[in-house]
Amino acid sequence: MAHIGLIVNPSAGRDIRRLTGGASVVDNYAKRSTTVCVLDGLTLVDETVSVEIMPDKTGIAEHAIGEAPSELDISKVEMPIKETAADTRRAAAHFRETADAVVVLGGDGTSRDAALELGDVPLVSVSTGTNNVVPTPVDGTVAGAAAAVIATAVVDAETVTTRHGKIEVRADDVNGEKHLTGLATIGITDRPFVGTRALVDPTELLGGVVSRAHPAAIGLTSVAGCIEPIAPDAPGGAALRFGDPDETPRSVRAILAPGMTTTIGLESHESLDWDEPAVFELQDCVIGADGEREVELADATVTMTPTANGPRLVDVDGALQAASEKGALISDRPLADAE
Amino acid sequence: MTDYTLETEDDRLEALRRMLTIREFDTKAGHYFADGEIPGFVHLYIGEEAVGVGTCAALDPDDYIASTHRGHGHCIAKGLDPDLMMAELFGKADGYCNGKGGSMHIADIDSGMLGANGIVGAGPPLATGAALSISHQDRDQVALAFLGDGATAQGQVHEAINQASTWDLPAIFLIENNQYGEATPVEKQHNVDQLSDTAQAYDIPGVTVDGMDITAVYEAVQEGRKRAANGDGPTLIEAETYRYHGHYEGDEQNYRTDEELQQWKDRDAIDAFKARLIDRDELSEAEFEEMQAEVEETIADAIEFAHDAELPHPQEAYDDMFSDTVPEIEKFANRARTDGGDSR
Repeated sequence: MAHIGLIVNPSAGRDIRRLTGGASVVDNYAKRSTTVCVLDGLTLVDETVSVEIMPDKTGIAEHAIGEAPSELDISKVEMPIKETAADTRRAAAHFRETADAVVVLGGDGTSRDAALELGDVPLVSVSTGTNNVVPTPVDGTVAGAAAAVIATAVVDAETVTTRHGKIEVRADDVNGEKHLTGLATIGITDRPFVGTRALVDPTELLGGVVSRAHPAAIGLTSVAGCIEPIAPDAPGGAALRFGDPDETPRSVRAILAPGMTTTIGLESHESLDWDEPAVFELQDCVIGADGEREVELADATVTMTPTANGPRLVDVDGALQAASEKGALISDRPLADAE
Repeated sequence: MTDYTLETEDDRLEALRRMLTIREFDTKAGHYFADGEIPGFVHLYIGEEAVGVGTCAALDPDDYIASTHRGHGHCIAKGLDPDLMMAELFGKADGYCNGKGGSMHIADIDSGMLGANGIVGAGPPLATGAALSISHQDRDQVALAFLGDGATAQGQVHEAINQASTWDLPAIFLIENNQYGEATPVEKQHNVDQLSDTAQAYDIPGVTVDGMDITAVYEAVQEGRKRAANGDGPTLIEAETYRYHGHYEGDEQNYRTDEELQQWKDRDAIDAFKARLIDRDELSEAEFEEMQAEVEETIADAIEFAHDAELPHPQEAYDDMFSDTVPEIEKFANRARTDGGDSR
């Protein structure tokens, strides 16, 4: 029986950008509803699938099990609940060994946490967060259906997934060596502390590295995309260094967060190949991955390197189109005969 | 008065000192309460220091705060004098309320401290009222109410936030979610997972932050203050934190486990902030020890001050209670002034 992993981050979609920008709140009622939609989508295929869902203390998993279509074999992952990002990582590590496809509900941070543990398991990333470069704002039912056609091998996963890049970071500062991994972006802010994690003031952004870029994205990927778009599965990335737009040779109008369009002064833009590092000499700053400040640094040499071994992201439209083209969603005889 | 932020090295050291002062003050308050020297009840703030200090560091010196029954930390964070606070806990005439308020009623309007409060959820209406006065008089201030997770379900809290939201008043409502309303876990009090979700009902921003991280609390209150001062109305901030002691001193705490307590202590806000300052080379272990010793001396002095202070005279029992004493009270007050209340 094909097996689906489901991760719903109860904390996604609630950071300070609801206060500083125009991000909307995704409450747990909405997450519960979307989760049930995902489960319903899994019934699009004839084959019965089994589902494991990450447990949580907010009732999302319990509700999902209670409301799941009767034909699904659904249970919770046996794991401790820490109510931190470690839960997502632990569940994803479990699914790496057990699942044929995984659906994640969250923002870029959740997708990163899951993706870094999933290995080759195809990932359907549904946006219920703030920064949504990687996740897709897709209906949960459609996302579930896409996961189902891949997990049951109705379509060839190779043809409807793309290999996303990663960005590996090594920072050497007065306190030693620190490491961080991002999916789409590694950003540098000149705030001294991690604080509320999200970017609250665009003038504090010093630069960073992206693995993908498009002007229709949000955050650092938007800035890079205004200069030169990079497809999610294109090799390499780009390094960006910012300055005061009154003094830098170029500037970019970009969308840094929901409700936060701003002018960024561009000191330099450098295309990077896979495994080609960009080096930043930094003082008293915080580096963050995929929209969340993570690591505080003082007097640091930071190396950011795009690498090719990221997660396999499912093209939801492509997966269902391929299923349709194969006729897998059509029955050619009266249902009474099938029984 | 709050005259520190988290923007400079000196400011950050002052913030750490305030957190240590709160912990030492409440540790000693617990001891003297257990010894029977402090009357009434004490509700200790130990564990929650990052919330009070992070909040007050983000406020301007003449902003208002309205506190809770667990208010010692708010007072110290706002800059009140530990001598006068401790005297108040001891019920002495030199205390902030001349010994008539005790732990749950410390107030100092000159410092912008509108009062601790024995009534759960009574702070938000005070903050809304203060914000209304700021708005009417077009002053450059904001008013912030601390409230607990239990208070969040109180009717008057809803009225206060609704009024402030409807009139775009310069207020901030800061929920200290310490996981228990007395002995009831937060998930058994509320249907929402995050209490900041209730902001949606008032059409105002709501955000939940890590209350064990002073920098996160500071940033959120900074942004809330900007919004309030810009005339955009109130913000609801939830800081997730934990009290290391019981609801009150003497609470048996059979509603929680040692493991849970230890998990939160492993994330202790003072330890974490101290470590970050050491990492930044803004503090050494030796300097921390020195700071700790100075704080202990400050609180020892406060206890000595409180011990040495006089009890209020029974003849003054009704003084300081009303701005204009009503006739019904005046007769009792006169009787007290005559014979200390001995005659019936």
